[in-house]
Amino acid sequence: MKRILTAAVCAALSLGGAGTMAADVKVGSAGGITGPIAELVVAIMDARDLAATHVNEQGGLLGGDTYQLVRGDSQCDPKAAVDAGAKLVNVEQVVAVLGANCSGATNGMAQSVTIPAGVVMLSDTATAPSISDLEDNDLVFRVAASDAYQGRSLAELAWANGYRSLAVTYANDDYNAGLAGVFETAFTELGGTITASQVHEPDKASYRSELSTLAGAGGEGLALFAYYGSSGITILRNSLENGLFGKFLGADGMMDNSVIEQIGADTLRGNIMLSQPASDTEGDSYKAFAGAFEAAGNNPGAPFVAHSYDIAFLMALAIEKAGAADRGKISAALREVANAPGTVIRPGEWEKAKAAIAAGEDIDYEGASGAIEFDGNGDVAGTYSLNGVGDDGTWTPM
Amino acid sequence: MDQLYGIFLYAVFLLTMGGIYAVLALGLNIQWGFTGLFNAGVGGFFAIGAYTSAILTSAGSTRHLGGFGLPVPAGICAAMIASAIVAWGIGRICIRLRSDYLAIATLGIAEILRLVLKNEIWATNGARGISQIPKPFEHVSAPWNQVGMLLLVFAIVLVLYVLLERARRSPWGRVMAAIRENEDAARAAGKDVERLRIEAFILGAALMGLGGALMAHHIKFIEPNAAEPVSATFLVWVMLIIGGSGNNRGAILGAILVWAIWSATEILTTRLPSEWATKAAYLRIFLVGLALQFILQKYPGGIFRERRFRTTAASAHPPSSNREISS
Repeated sequence: MKRILTAAVCAALSLGGAGTMAADVKVGSAGGITGPIAELVVAIMDARDLAATHVNEQGGLLGGDTYQLVRGDSQCDPKAAVDAGAKLVNVEQVVAVLGANCSGATNGMAQSVTIPAGVVMLSDTATAPSISDLEDNDLVFRVAASDAYQGRSLAELAWANGYRSLAVTYANDDYNAGLAGVFETAFTELGGTITASQVHEPDKASYRSELSTLAGAGGEGLALFAYYGSSGITILRNSLENGLFGKFLGADGMMDNSVIEQIGADTLRGNIMLSQPASDTEGDSYKAFAGAFEAAGNNPGAPFVAHSYDIAFLMALAIEKAGAADRGKISAALREVANAPGTVIRPGEWEKAKAAIAAGEDIDYEGASGAIEFDGNGDVAGTYSLNGVGDDGTWTPM
Repeated sequence: MDQLYGIFLYAVFLLTMGGIYAVLALGLNIQWGFTGLFNAGVGGFFAIGAYTSAILTSAGSTRHLGGFGLPVPAGICAAMIASAIVAWGIGRICIRLRSDYLAIATLGIAEILRLVLKNEIWATNGARGISQIPKPFEHVSAPWNQVGMLLLVFAIVLVLYVLLERARRSPWGRVMAAIRENEDAARAAGKDVERLRIEAFILGAALMGLGGALMAHHIKFIEPNAAEPVSATFLVWVMLIIGGSGNNRGAILGAILVWAIWSATEILTTRLPSEWATKAAYLRIFLVGLALQFILQKYPGGIFRERRFRTTAASAHPPSSNREISS
């Protein structure tokens, strides 16, 4: 066994040596390649790779170096994420890390590996509010808006649509629980009333007892924070069958056409509103990304792919701006290339960006997922749209 | 030079994680290796230790119970005590169950503990987990912060090894082996089998709590999913069985070896072209399984087999046996 291990380490060493000679600029690409969200991560990795392809096809980084994304499997688990991060930062000697997926994995990897090593981490999917509070020496960034924004936004939209009292139920996972907490606080602050709040475990056959309790407390409607497949559809069905709730509010976890197919478009039309992070799908930036991603044989509507493309492209811009593959310079450069003012750069416009940076111009990346302006915590503010059931039986912006 | 320094740092991380798993494997070795208690709930005790230490040592937060700000050693001791108390309660109820029933009971209890931690949001922040847990030596400059953590973990493993070797050779350890091999005979010889089994269960659980606390401080973050049976319970079982159940050196070696195989194989798979890299992550799990099969075929009793007491040595101490019987 020892011999095999020694051989493996030797092979890794020699391959590592070969890698550095080819003047690659290595950036870690950490994600939950295996684990609970593996199927989503396939498209996420494809989107990051597409950005690297764009950079390499249009002249590469700095003096023509290859922009290489090195994968790390963070498995959506903090223990695995720390291990994957240690490998990327130390063995692969990456300049910065993209990812990780899942808030827990991101949290662990950032605190235990990348922050102590002084490496910038830029996540596309971590939405937990606790990531904003990390003492990160300005090293942790994300382009996915904190759930704090979506919860607040949905509360405001509910208030604007005339709701004054609501019952709340949420699935017991980090995403939905966080969202519900922020929603309740924001809705109460606006002057609304939360009649009752009930957590539920996903994947149960029936939620009648939870819903009866909630309905007993009253409310004009039910704010439902859940993933459609694991509990959302069942809750809608139980509520409607038993006449417990008729009006629903929700977030992007419910946003799937199978909800409409299974419950019925006519039943839901006018009775349900879902908020969704609005990649402004009509904007030039999104279209530029979606066209390229579709041409590469992928679905641009998959969750978070626009964010994933953006982080890979932004990181390339930051390295170019820093003028060297230097860990210490990425953080400041990242803010400069992402935030206004400056020449507007859109997805795929690497040649234009490279020329602008060479000419000493300030640039402002307008991403596929949004304008991307980092605040003091390295967070972006989200913009959200409200969706209902359209005449064609699909989710349509209201 | 940077490359070598990086590999050194990675090795430090690798050995730290391996060392923490070694603590867990040593704990399981007391229960299964010494006494034959089939504990399928390692993750539960791991989680109690991790959360106890995290809550006691972290700074205040509005998201979870905390703000006690105790020093890390106090948190680690409290973690061991908390795990031991819970193990005592479970042991009182479940310890008389035969091995496979005990496995089912402990597996269920570990899941209950995980769900309690996930749902008592006021104390644990639920599924969102506890962040910013202090880490020993974190304010020392690199690489000494990581090296310091490694040395701490290794020192703990070494102390545990010495103590457990003494325990194994002592009359207590021999009684445990007797209970494992033939409970009725041990009872017939006048041993209080139930009390001794509870002792082993508590001692093992305290070490699992210690392992959990070390993991929480190392990662600086803990969430209920960290106690999932696959990575917290069954991985520890694999480590103990590969290394050699009943042998403390085997438990330590098994933990470090399995973790090294698990972790280091990824360095190879990330070298593959990107269209392969995603598939390779799954291939890696398959290869790890294959390696384990290979080891178990070649070393059926684990890499280090249990060292049996020679009968002559055991019968050479009749006074100690007499004392045990009379007590």
